[in-house]
Amino acid sequence: MAYDVIVIGAGHNGLACATILAKEARRVLIVEQRDVIGGLCAGEEFHPGYRHTGLLHDTSGLRPWLVEELGLSGHGLKPGPAPHRVFSPQTDGPGLVLSSVPDESVAEIARHSDRDARQFQVFGTFLGRLRKVIEPLLNKTPVNPSDLGVGDFFDLAPHGIAARRLGKRDMMELLRIPPMCVADWLREWFETELLNASIAGPAISGGWTGPWSPGTSTNFLMQTSTWNGPGQGGVAAVVSALENAATGSGVEIRTGAAVKRIDIEQGAVRGITLLDGDEIEARSVVSSCDPRTTFLDLISPRELSHKLEQYVRDYRMRGTTAKVHLALNRPLEWASRPGEQFEYIRTGEELDDLERAFDAVKYRQRSERPVLEVHVPTVARPDLAPQGHSVASVLVHFAPHHFEEGWSDSAREALGDAVVDERERYAPGARDLVVGREVLTPVDIEKRYGLAGGHIYHGEHGLDQLITRPVPGCTGYATPLDGLYLCGSGCHPGGGVTGAPGALAAHVIQSSRQ
Amino acid sequence: MPIPTPFHPRTSEFCTSLQWKEWAGYYAIRSFDVHFDREYYAFRHAAGMIDVTPLYKYDVRGPDATAYLNRIVVRNIAKLKQNQVAYLCWCDDDGKVIDDGTVTRFEEDYYRVTSTDPDFHWFLRHMRGFDVTVENITDEVAALSVQGPNSRDVLRDVCDADMDKLKFFRTTKTRVDGGIDARISRTGYTGDLGYEIWVKNDDALGLWDALMAAGEPHGLVPAGLDAMDVTRIEAGFILNGIDYFNALHSLIERRKASPYELSLGWAVHLKRDPFIGQEALRHIKKDGPPRLFVGLDIDWPSFERLFAKHGLPPEVHSGGWRTGVPIYDSGGNFIGQATSGAWSPLLKKNLALATVQAEHGHIGNTVHLEVTVEYERKTVPATIVPKPFFDPERMKA
Ligand SMILES: Cc1cc2nc3c(=O)[nH]c(=O)nc-3n(C[C@H](O)[C@H](O)[C@H](O)COP(=O)(O)OP(=O)(O)OC[C@H]3O[C@@H](n4cnc5c(N)ncnc54)[C@H](O)[C@@H]3O)c2cc1C
Repeated sequence: MAYDVIVIGAGHNGLACATILAKEARRVLIVEQRDVIGGLCAGEEFHPGYRHTGLLHDTSGLRPWLVEELGLSGHGLKPGPAPHRVFSPQTDGPGLVLSSVPDESVAEIARHSDRDARQFQVFGTFLGRLRKVIEPLLNKTPVNPSDLGVGDFFDLAPHGIAARRLGKRDMMELLRIPPMCVADWLREWFETELLNASIAGPAISGGWTGPWSPGTSTNFLMQTSTWNGPGQGGVAAVVSALENAATGSGVEIRTGAAVKRIDIEQGAVRGITLLDGDEIEARSVVSSCDPRTTFLDLISPRELSHKLEQYVRDYRMRGTTAKVHLALNRPLEWASRPGEQFEYIRTGEELDDLERAFDAVKYRQRSERPVLEVHVPTVARPDLAPQGHSVASVLVHFAPHHFEEGWSDSAREALGDAVVDERERYAPGARDLVVGREVLTPVDIEKRYGLAGGHIYHGEHGLDQLITRPVPGCTGYATPLDGLYLCGSGCHPGGGVTGAPGALAAHVIQSSRQ
Repeated sequence: MPIPTPFHPRTSEFCTSLQWKEWAGYYAIRSFDVHFDREYYAFRHAAGMIDVTPLYKYDVRGPDATAYLNRIVVRNIAKLKQNQVAYLCWCDDDGKVIDDGTVTRFEEDYYRVTSTDPDFHWFLRHMRGFDVTVENITDEVAALSVQGPNSRDVLRDVCDADMDKLKFFRTTKTRVDGGIDARISRTGYTGDLGYEIWVKNDDALGLWDALMAAGEPHGLVPAGLDAMDVTRIEAGFILNGIDYFNALHSLIERRKASPYELSLGWAVHLKRDPFIGQEALRHIKKDGPPRLFVGLDIDWPSFERLFAKHGLPPEVHSGGWRTGVPIYDSGGNFIGQATSGAWSPLLKKNLALATVQAEHGHIGNTVHLEVTVEYERKTVPATIVPKPFFDPERMKA
């Protein structure tokens, strides 16, 4: 039986894309290799009685227009952001809590520097002005820089006008900042290293970059310009709302169905073949897998132009982030703030801590002292662990996919130990709370999620890879192969739980059919 | 610095002129004598023997060998029978020629590719997904080319294979002089009856000696590249790096050429499985090539007159030339370039190979070729004539 569209992968982008397409009463099938839905967002039990809510922590980038377009509130997603606080602990000092409530942040920063507290307010309004120009660009189909037409001009004109409204000074800044490294830029603003490290964290998270890598400011601007605050219920709520919306629109979802091959004849898609040999016909195939998996694993080299293959090979997706899930028999406590509970914690007391941690991956080593992004989901969802127990979900920077000594079992455990040791510096005694743990190296992430290189964003957020994402010839979700589209985080506007690549791809597919 | 080929002990012994040049990293002989004419006439009237070891050779083996090569080359080689050779080219994604050469099918799953440029990297790059091995055997296999009307007689006397049965563009295994294992293909770069013989390096000198001995009664003469160059121009064969440029080495589009611009359109089989450049070639074919590769017969009386004006006899290169010269239409507009040419001693004609804008490329059209006489740039009329200029029946018979 033939489908109009097959979407490969039930990650959040695949779900969003399929749902929009199904609304036009197309026959849409999602095939997902895993037994669970959600892709990198799938929450799972990692130790008997303890669950995490997906590999990632933060859903602040989810687009409000997508929530509306898919009617996700009607499918159980509670409206409105939850208050968001990120705690940067110190080994010796009070630490710093940055909050989504600006006054709270200002008061916290004032504990370290009055000047920075004042600057932070100016910084906030400055970013607000830039957001007006940046955000719309991250919510529309990208223009192909090599093929600008008259239509594109009219399309882009409003952005030009928005940019002009910024005024000369801000406009200059908008041109100056993106290629900069986030460290230099932040030091122009703030003198408190703890604050700089805390702000810089997300800019380098997941990338093959340290705070002194060029272009890291771009990553920061992208994130702040699309930051909408974490939704109520976290990642799990997003995934279940997306799943409900999909099935509600008639999308068929098949789990445990790994695609072996996208079938192509004379340059046009015919359907897919599953690992178990099942052949399914479809007029279009939309892949939410990363570009390398899509083009190099799922498509016969005989169907791929040499140029495209070369571009895909050169596409950088070297994973640098590991994931450690810890089952704890008590809530976590931090030396900087005894008695307080935090849901989000980020280590690194100065920019150099981040840079030093990054240095290692350049030489295919893991950081001796990794930088940790800790999420304690049990603060908001105590039901994820037994009564009185807690879960710490830790993003670990940096651990290279191409680890020189290879990711053996003992190397994996050594990484787990390094994480526990690092946390111990800020939360003495936390070591003894651990009753179970799961360590996922980038290679484990690659294997489990079918994600080449284990790169969390399906490819580096480098300036070049953002402008022609993923590669020239495939920047607008369509590919040179007739009927094959991309809709995952490897597409514009990049990785993160945003739903934007999935939804924008669906819009392109819709308009190409009209 | 170039290195010697396995025939060097013999070739250097005969090369009284000391006229060496570099060919693909090897020492190669321009002409054994001071002037190449004796070698040229051997090619056309008896037989000449030239060391063609430097030609790049790649062996492709494996269950997917056919599919793999078909992915790279423009011609459908699945149609090749065992022991058949195909002349063809390979292109980049934009349908622009990288190189031309031959593909020989020795066995069901065993092919040999020859190329002018070092293209091993290109062949390696496209192995993903194919069960094949590709081996660069350029340095392991020595090759001699025996060309000319008597070449069959030479080989008949020294090979155990039936030379009368070996057809044009076919190959056979044979034993030379009772002991040397060789492969012979009836191919060449002179446009005449001729053969290429491949042996292991260790057998090179034995092969040379056996052929020289067998060749004596048939007028076999060792020949160099200068003689061969004139014959290839008479035959209208293109030369990579002279008449066109490897697309991978070209910085600008204008330098690149599709097969349709090189008179190689006949070798492109578009209706088959995808191959590199197919999509682009479909479009180029549909739109028609912007330029054509043509043969020119340069008007002799006009040429003579230009020199006579200065009281000089007409000056032609002794041998082939390869310095590109511009071509104009009758209004003096630039329309293309002649890229190589030669005085043909056999045809008594001043010939050139040229690329011109398609609208000027029809047979019989007169174009104007630049010549420099006494430091002054002049033009001389030339007529576009069919290629090959020289096409003896014996080549294929
Ligand atoms: C450790 C980690 C931490 C992260 N932290 C954050 C964060 O805090 N905030 C944030 O916004 N983003 C974060 N990200 C990034 C974010 O999770 C991803 O960008 C996003 O979830 C990707 O969604 P997707 O739908 O594009 O792809 P995916 O979620 O990767 O979905 C692709 C799906 O395709 C399936 N698949 C693959 N191959 C096949 C096949 N052959 N056949 C069938 N199915 C197949 C996979 O199983 C998967 O379900 C993080 C990512 C990781 C890995």
